[in-house]
Amino acid sequence: MGTKRLLRTRKNTPFLQGISKRDTIFIMIEIRNLRKNYGNRPVVSDLSLTVQNGHVFGFLGPNGAGKTTTIKMLVGLVRADSGTIKIDGHEPHETACREHFGFMPEDPYFYDRLTGMEFLKFCGQLFQKSYHKSEREYGEILKLVGIYDARTRRIATYSKGMKQRLGFAQAIVNDPSHVFLDEPLDGLDPIGRREIKGIIKKLHSAGKTIFFNSHVLADVEEICHEIGIIHEGKLVYAGDVKQFCNGRPLEEQFVSTIEKL
Amino acid sequence: MKNIFVIAKNTFRAAIRDRILHGIVVFAILFILFTLFLGSISLGEDLMVIRSIGLAGIYLFGMIITIFLASSLISLEIERRTLYLILSKPVSTSELIVGKFVGLFAAIILITVSMTAVYLGMVWYKGGGFDFGALIAVVLQLFEAGLFVAITALFSTFAAPFAAAIYGILVLYAGHSLSILLQYVQYRGAALKIAVNVVYYIVPNLEKFNIRNAIVHHLLPTPGMVVISGLYAVLYTIVLLYLAKHLLGKKDL
Repeated sequence: MGTKRLLRTRKNTPFLQGISKRDTIFIMIEIRNLRKNYGNRPVVSDLSLTVQNGHVFGFLGPNGAGKTTTIKMLVGLVRADSGTIKIDGHEPHETACREHFGFMPEDPYFYDRLTGMEFLKFCGQLFQKSYHKSEREYGEILKLVGIYDARTRRIATYSKGMKQRLGFAQAIVNDPSHVFLDEPLDGLDPIGRREIKGIIKKLHSAGKTIFFNSHVLADVEEICHEIGIIHEGKLVYAGDVKQFCNGRPLEEQFVSTIEKL
Repeated sequence: MKNIFVIAKNTFRAAIRDRILHGIVVFAILFILFTLFLGSISLGEDLMVIRSIGLAGIYLFGMIITIFLASSLISLEIERRTLYLILSKPVSTSELIVGKFVGLFAAIILITVSMTAVYLGMVWYKGGGFDFGALIAVVLQLFEAGLFVAITALFSTFAAPFAAAIYGILVLYAGHSLSILLQYVQYRGAALKIAVNVVYYIVPNLEKFNIRNAIVHHLLPTPGMVVISGLYAVLYTIVLLYLAKHLLGKKDL
């Protein structure tokens, strides 16, 4: 299946109407010919991709396909060997550009000796725009992710699901315009998954661009506008979810696509 | 500057809450208090014994705590992937390294000052008055601790916490023995002399910060000597932190 790029108009995305006078939504995340090798092993090969303003983009692929490396390059943690990444016209290695990012790594680790509230404040204070947030505002974020009652407990006592929620909280502490999530629904119970999906939908309603990796394809189908599929470092599809599914469940279509490669 | 302060505050807070560290500090204070007993069984040399073993105890436990805290300064952050959460924010690697250094060094200062307060109290209690010389010895010890944190921070950008601690201890040992070794090789072969000289100028001369024996015998260093030792430590620390920042910047996380 060939790579498809979609250029949507504002008419197709009602939540963005009124934001810009231009007819074409300008591209927020633009990846061009990205390559990354670890030693002699290519992890990402000639990846080109665009994600448009205000979309929820699901990045899928089997284990070891290059999803996490790609997301790390998007947030400036890993440098590409060649190719470019532009987010809102800036490279993620520019420190100031990351002022507008939110990132949640896969299976996040924290400073276990801090409390949830202390950690969230620490993260918030690293951004200019959330430096002066009040205790009440941080509390609101913890309420949103459902761990407010545990805010004064040390993180060492948190369950995996609570840590996942705290990871999500720190990713949105600065009210980012771009949110990058690496397996955000991993380790959550069905209630937790529903809540986090609800927050992702709210972020989308607020016009945020969300890029996330996930293995939970039913959830991807539910919340994403577009998907990208990567296999052995190469992009095999990018485009509309429904178009890709072609009337079949996403999981079925995904497995059949990967097996054909 | 703001980010350095925020990271330093967080590092300090996390460091002083370590339960293993609490155990070492309690043991260190008990050790210093124990010198009261050792002084009482000496033959009229109470103060000499308290000052000699007390200052040695502050140094020994100060360095154990420094090694314990500093060896995981960066490597544990990489291993546990907490760096992902910091460096994906508008934080540069320089701010991260300096912030972590300042926070950890502040924790070491707090612990060393606590041990010194117990020591000064004991000397005063035994009639030795205010031991000003010990304060200078502790200040120089802190310069050494700062330098050591920077050395281990550098190692921990590419080595695991345990390996970084071992490398740090080796540098600590070499830094205190090289001046003696240099004297020893003066009359040996030219090649050996050159080799030791090269190592001597690369490895920091940590004996510059050791004035404990002189202090016990009431010999105070000149202010100029203290200032030169301080500048030496500051310059060396800046170079090491710069290298650590450079190595971390090159690393794919």
